[in-house]
Amino acid sequence: MIGVGALVAAAAVAPTLPSYPLTLLTQVAIMAILAMSLDILLGYTGLPSLGHAAYFGTAAYAVGILATERQAGFLTCLVAGVLLATAAAALFGLVAIRATGTYFLMITLALGMVVWGLAFRWVSLTKGDNGIAGVPRPDLALPWSLAAPLPFFYFALVAAALAWAALGTLARSPFGLTLQGIRESETRMRALGYDVWLHKYLAFVISGGFAGFAGVLWAWYNGFVSPVDVQLVTSVETLLMVALGGPGTLAGPALGAAVIVFLKNFVSVYTKRWLLILGAVYIGVILFAPRGVLGALRAPRR
Amino acid sequence: MDDVELAVRPGERRALIGPNGAGKTTLFNLVAGALPVTAGRIELFGRDVTRMPSHRRAALGLTRTFQISNLFASLSVLDNCRLAVQALTAAKFAMHRPLARDAVLRARAEETLAAVGLADRAAATVRNLSHGEQRQLEIGLALAGRPRLLLLDEPTAGLSPAESAAMARLLGRLDPAITVLIIEHDMDIALEVARHVTVLHYGRVIADGTRDAVRADPTVREIYLGA
Amino acid sequence: MTRIRLVASVVLLALATSLAAPVGAPAQSAPIKIGFLAPLTGPFAQIGKDMVNGNQLYLAEIGGQVAGRKIEVLVEDDEGNPATALNKSRKLVEQDKISILTGGMLANVGYALQPYIDAQKIPTTYPVIAADDITQRKPAKWIVRTGWSTSQPMHPFADWVLKNTKYRKIAAIGMDYAFGYEIIGGFQQVFEEGGGQIVQRIWAPLNTNDFAPFLAQLRRDADAVLALFTGRLALQFVKQYEEAGLKGKLPLLGGGTITDETVLPQMGDEALGLITALHYSQALDNPANAKFSRAFEASAGKIASYYSEATYTNARWIVEAIKAVGGKAEDRDALLAALRRVDLKESARGPLKVDDFGNPIQNIYIRKVERVGGKLQNTVIATYPGVSQFWKYKPDEYMKRPLYGRDYPPCKYCQ
Repeated sequence: MIGVGALVAAAAVAPTLPSYPLTLLTQVAIMAILAMSLDILLGYTGLPSLGHAAYFGTAAYAVGILATERQAGFLTCLVAGVLLATAAAALFGLVAIRATGTYFLMITLALGMVVWGLAFRWVSLTKGDNGIAGVPRPDLALPWSLAAPLPFFYFALVAAALAWAALGTLARSPFGLTLQGIRESETRMRALGYDVWLHKYLAFVISGGFAGFAGVLWAWYNGFVSPVDVQLVTSVETLLMVALGGPGTLAGPALGAAVIVFLKNFVSVYTKRWLLILGAVYIGVILFAPRGVLGALRAPRR
Repeated sequence: MDDVELAVRPGERRALIGPNGAGKTTLFNLVAGALPVTAGRIELFGRDVTRMPSHRRAALGLTRTFQISNLFASLSVLDNCRLAVQALTAAKFAMHRPLARDAVLRARAEETLAAVGLADRAAATVRNLSHGEQRQLEIGLALAGRPRLLLLDEPTAGLSPAESAAMARLLGRLDPAITVLIIEHDMDIALEVARHVTVLHYGRVIADGTRDAVRADPTVREIYLGA
Repeated sequence: MTRIRLVASVVLLALATSLAAPVGAPAQSAPIKIGFLAPLTGPFAQIGKDMVNGNQLYLAEIGGQVAGRKIEVLVEDDEGNPATALNKSRKLVEQDKISILTGGMLANVGYALQPYIDAQKIPTTYPVIAADDITQRKPAKWIVRTGWSTSQPMHPFADWVLKNTKYRKIAAIGMDYAFGYEIIGGFQQVFEEGGGQIVQRIWAPLNTNDFAPFLAQLRRDADAVLALFTGRLALQFVKQYEEAGLKGKLPLLGGGTITDETVLPQMGDEALGLITALHYSQALDNPANAKFSRAFEASAGKIASYYSEATYTNARWIVEAIKAVGGKAEDRDALLAALRRVDLKESARGPLKVDDFGNPIQNIYIRKVERVGGKLQNTVIATYPGVSQFWKYKPDEYMKRPLYGRDYPPCKYCQ
């Protein structure tokens, strides 16, 4: 409900916005996809991944390399990016899913560092810390070039809407209920006859795939890919978006993404102490709305 | 567990009793596959399941309840039941269609709720149920998958005498085809459900037989009933 | 449900209206806006502060105006993160309508901004970002570098070592990233062409905590060691080099940052005698530098470094260009042309002009750490005047070779 309202409102006001706020809204749309993908793990399955930037970044690098070195177009970049991210998640999931709680956090962190290390050190492929610049936006053979801010915003918005619809369907499906069951009680799920490992693994892979989708858009949006995109800070920020907005609700992480993108870009204009303010907001949310902003709105204190 | 040998026939109702620490729940965990077996052998419906993971044992028709309610606390009662119903169907993998539209699933979940007396609580969040209602749902989840063997771990734990009596009636109505193994501190309940009793003490079987025979056993009287 | 929808819509509308605030059209008499990016949070915050201070110092000296127009500097924190830098640039260019973009510290920020800058056609200067290719194989039309390119000081340094020392076999150790590759690579290129040999190349990770294992590997049969580190790693490497007893045995040479003035005040006798090359030294003896370094120390309360000199001179460079276009900073083509024509006869780092690729042609100083008046300084012991980023090579031939990298030039004398 809120999501549809927000999407329609965003689409309606976009043409009246100057280009800078528009690019920020575009960023919100992309980050919302990333945050929602993580929410499938964190909010629905109860798996706090600290390595989500790995799949996001893998896809971004795939696009960066293919688009600059092979002049790959829209479909190749999209498919390759999402597939590679999914494959990375499928591989890492084999290692990570055995762990639970803090150990899961640590192992996903470590795996994320592996990808960061590759991005940083595999210089012949990734250009190391210099990053890959000049990644062109795709040509969709539309009357509008995606190089301009407004068409690209609509492009990102449609992508976010599609991702939201897909993840929403997943969340409401029998499979989505299974994931929530795992979040609530693994032992009971096993006793009922669920292969808990398999369902967690599937959630992990699907989540990685959607993170990859966001990564593809990110590479096009920035026109640039660097190890920063796969580093820990990016994973942590994504986790915070989910926690801030409300895990277990897809609109929550999207809202969290909006809050963080705007906080980062507006508060920092007025004060150099913006990190402090961001920190205060996080602490405030943890203390007063542990289920996120949306969680607090939905269920007033009894 | 030390040298425990237990053979339960199909359709049998067997009570497991023994003082705290006797190893009753541990035995359940071994049978259900929640704990790994270090030595010995477990057979289920004629198959060796010693190394089989618990979810596959469940698929063979074994379900259990937990001594401390083990439910999906923040989900609705109906969703709890849906999870139990879909567990052994291929529908659990469906990602593309909304749960809400699965009428068969819903009907079976509601049927189960009615069987344990929770039909009017379907929409409630489990966290908000009373303790007694949670115990009822605990049984409901175990029954939803239509088990052949049911392990009940102290179904009346923490219940008032009136609630316990209601629980006993509920258990008395169970499909006679289901094999039941019940751990119960309340002897009246245990003996109402089961005709055959096994007594465990420090991980060993110290008595095994009909309820009257066990009641008469001097060792049992000394360490358990007499206490 | 309705309540949430209402709240969400209100928030969104409020955001949208605040964003859509009108932006006034710049008039001739309005201030000239300069957008300035620097890392003000994170590990490079200190350097970011030096950059801001150097810039402010020059603008204060000229009373904050040029050609009858006030100069307004909009400082933004880029966090040393390319995505953030890109965001902040968008804000500065598209919302604040700046006339010139400047600043930035890290190479990846430099590369990330390049396509955006060219697409927006916004005159830009890079005072600190040194990555070679920004003015070589991937030059941007709208970017003028007012600082240096990484390998620029290292070509003459190798020439100086060949001509003034007997070191012919050198072991190199550097930080494992592009800046390290370009420093060591630039030296190796000229050194080996002149008959020298790099007999070992060690790349130390940026998060190294203990250099002992690397120091143990260093070949003791080399004539000297060439090292490249920055910040904390520079302090630690030089200290551990002495502690390992290597200082007396293997003379130490370095890329300029290993003893730059952001780390030198925290070093002790272990740094004495270290020879490095850079386009600036705080101890440089010329009137412009005397004035700058005194004023900087007085206003910032710390010694000037090449970072603060870079933004100080960069501000002067920009002001000269604005003067040249008669204050019409909104004429972007004219301003860019003026930025590329700037010819400073005496700056704090000596004479400066721009080559065809947008990089300064400037003096390179060979410096030796000495203790003067109780303090360590980089005493200039030789000057290579008017050095191009291409050294003595023809630009097109130079650029046919790959960028200096982890494996280029190949280490043919390493065993």
